[in-house]
Amino acid sequence: MSGPWFVELLARNGDVLQRQRVDRLPICIGRGYDNDVILDDDYAAARHAVVEPGADGGLLLRDLGSRNGIVVAGRRAQDATVTGDTVVRIGHTALRVRPADWPVAPELPDRTFHRWEGGIPGALGLALAGACALLVRWLTDTEFFAPARYAEALAGGLAAALLWAGVWACANRLFGRHARLGRHLFVFGCGASAILAWALLGGTLGYAFSAEAFTHYGSHVAALLLAGMVYFHLCTVRPRNRVRYRWVCAGLAVLCSGLILAGNVQRTGRLSDELYMAVLLPPDVRVSPDHGVDEFMRDVEAMRGPLDRSRGRKPGDDEIED
Amino acid sequence: MRLSSSAARILLLVALAAGAAGATLSIALAAGTAGKAAKAAAPRPSPAPAPQPPLVIPPATPPATTPPAPGPGETDETAALPMPSGAAQTLYSAAKADLLQIRMLLRNGRSQSSVGSGFLVGTGNLVLTNYHVVSQMALDPDVYVGEYVDTDGRSGPVELLAVDVLHDLAVVRVNRNGSGFFQVPEAPVKLIQGQYLYSLGNPLDLGFAISEGAYNGVVTRSFYEQLVFTGPINSGMSGGPSVTAAGVVAGVNVSKRRDGELVSFLVPVQYAQELLRRAQAQAHPPRNFNPLIAQQLLAHQRALVDRLLAEPLSIRTMGPYQVPVRESQQLRCWGRSNFRAEAEYTLDTVSCAMEAALYVSDTQQTGLVSMTHQVLRSGSLHPLQVALLATSRFRVDSIGTGRDPRLTRPACAEMFVHTASLPVRAVTCVRAYRKFAGLYNFTLLAASTDDAQASLLSRIDLAGVSYENGLRATRAFLSALGRSPARPAKRPGAHAGAS
Repeated sequence: MSGPWFVELLARNGDVLQRQRVDRLPICIGRGYDNDVILDDDYAAARHAVVEPGADGGLLLRDLGSRNGIVVAGRRAQDATVTGDTVVRIGHTALRVRPADWPVAPELPDRTFHRWEGGIPGALGLALAGACALLVRWLTDTEFFAPARYAEALAGGLAAALLWAGVWACANRLFGRHARLGRHLFVFGCGASAILAWALLGGTLGYAFSAEAFTHYGSHVAALLLAGMVYFHLCTVRPRNRVRYRWVCAGLAVLCSGLILAGNVQRTGRLSDELYMAVLLPPDVRVSPDHGVDEFMRDVEAMRGPLDRSRGRKPGDDEIED
Repeated sequence: MRLSSSAARILLLVALAAGAAGATLSIALAAGTAGKAAKAAAPRPSPAPAPQPPLVIPPATPPATTPPAPGPGETDETAALPMPSGAAQTLYSAAKADLLQIRMLLRNGRSQSSVGSGFLVGTGNLVLTNYHVVSQMALDPDVYVGEYVDTDGRSGPVELLAVDVLHDLAVVRVNRNGSGFFQVPEAPVKLIQGQYLYSLGNPLDLGFAISEGAYNGVVTRSFYEQLVFTGPINSGMSGGPSVTAAGVVAGVNVSKRRDGELVSFLVPVQYAQELLRRAQAQAHPPRNFNPLIAQQLLAHQRALVDRLLAEPLSIRTMGPYQVPVRESQQLRCWGRSNFRAEAEYTLDTVSCAMEAALYVSDTQQTGLVSMTHQVLRSGSLHPLQVALLATSRFRVDSIGTGRDPRLTRPACAEMFVHTASLPVRAVTCVRAYRKFAGLYNFTLLAASTDDAQASLLSRIDLAGVSYENGLRATRAFLSALGRSPARPAKRPGAHAGAS
């Protein structure tokens, strides 16, 4: 191990706040101006500690009789052998010392699409959000055409996009280096489109194939899409922790689903979101064949047993059986 | 969907919540003070009469000021009022001894929860009243207990002997005997329209009263016949007798129309006679009335559904669709349309509902049939917009009250069904009554799936029917939904999904 040496002041999460190069040993550390590394820390002594060559060729950090001392791995010590990974606390400052020949990890493959930043994705995200709002407005509009209603819907959609992406951009500026508002707008636009597309697709599948489960439990897919959107926002903020975010968002989706199920049981006594599939679509959408009245009446007849069984139970006990 | 004008009938029961009791009390006090002021004012020689005398003299009038002229009815009773009907006077003094107020008390704390009237029959100890007056005691005997109070203020316990939920009658036993004034005739009383009847009871828990009115025939709107009494009956008088001038009991006070004036209803006395016979015949009163009430409700629904399906349902044409309805004296139909300038679609609605339901408890009414058909049409909306509009009208979040403790949660069956001439999405939800075995509420929801520019949305509710009858009626209504043959499908693609 040989010089020059680098003293790195660390944040609590391990980020380097400040790095100072020192060419010779010993390295004096303290608040005074005669030190090699000056700490702006009221809890550090004027001459607090010194880094010297150790007996075994390593480095030794020695306390120079300060009041608060040095703390290594949570324990106060008079002196400590420091390697490049030993974090020492002096007063309120965490620091480590690394030699110039300290090995670093290989560079990460850069998968960030750097051209997809700023204006273009932002405009696209806003356009998607606005289009979703306009589509919903048009689908539910049964009155005569009035431009003001569509303008209102568009303004609402854009405002929602800006608000949501703005909050994420703030977080991005706090925890990353840049705001990346355009990226966050794009993520929101895609997420909102996906959720709307699911709402339409789920109903269509249910209606076309008589598959009621698509709308009975459709909100869980929406929760999953929402969690996916949050995942992409998080990855935009700090692209390094993708694996951790995957777990966080999977947990978020499970939590949302659980809350939806618990809310349904609490509100209506059923797990499903609705009593029956209410979706009606144009007749051309239907694919699977219709049934006869007899078959339907057999289904109705079959409900008698479960109903009579739940009659005997106390109110509130018959809730979850299906 | 129920039209507000269709069923505004209320039962004459005073339910005494803490607040209501307070209000009653303050009204009584105000009446008392006003009365005193009027009496004090009466002997003074009144100055020139004011053109519009106030009806109530404020009690705070200082004695020095000249009181305004007393209004009609405020002066000495014998001088200003027209002579009270001699018949009413005689009747009341003769009937007084046999007239009772029936109260339901909470066992725990003995505070009253509802108040009605009743009368001693003949010289026995049986009292006739309404079922709805004693329903709390019949359904929850562990929680409620009955008590009578007579015109002299004496009170005593009440023992429930028999109930007739369908005609809203009950027989109770008290620990004193009647004087023999109220005779319940064996044969139905012959009444002539316009004949005076006198209704007795304790209105609004204020005190015993008699009111005069006219008999106006038998009402055909309710499932069980009732007499129309055009006279004032107020809450608290239910269970009281209505007698002819000769003192013969013609009926038992039961309900009035809230949206009308002086439109009141009486239970004909012959049903009371049957119930009295039944009460006298039984060795001891039934311990649990719930199975009995269930039996009566089952009998009711049998008659109801039989009458509903006795003949083929009448088919009405609504736009391109044919819908089944049943219009009768009991089941009234009303139509409505969204004829507005702002909407790009037309929505026509026909809804038929029974005007009178069976009273089981203050929170549960049953024995009811209603049906609503809506036809949605639009030439200018996109098929997707029509579909979404139909979806929002087809969606029902809860069938009845969501977490009703008296019913189980709904079980639903849903399917795409093809009736004889129309493909529909059919949903049937059923809820069972917890207290009454064998009774269910059926709801059928159906939406046509044959036309991109029109939609038929139907809902049929059957409250308090047996499972077999529910199935029978559901099948009858569902099968009768159809497409008008007069107008073949214009769009060739319209039937593609159905085939």
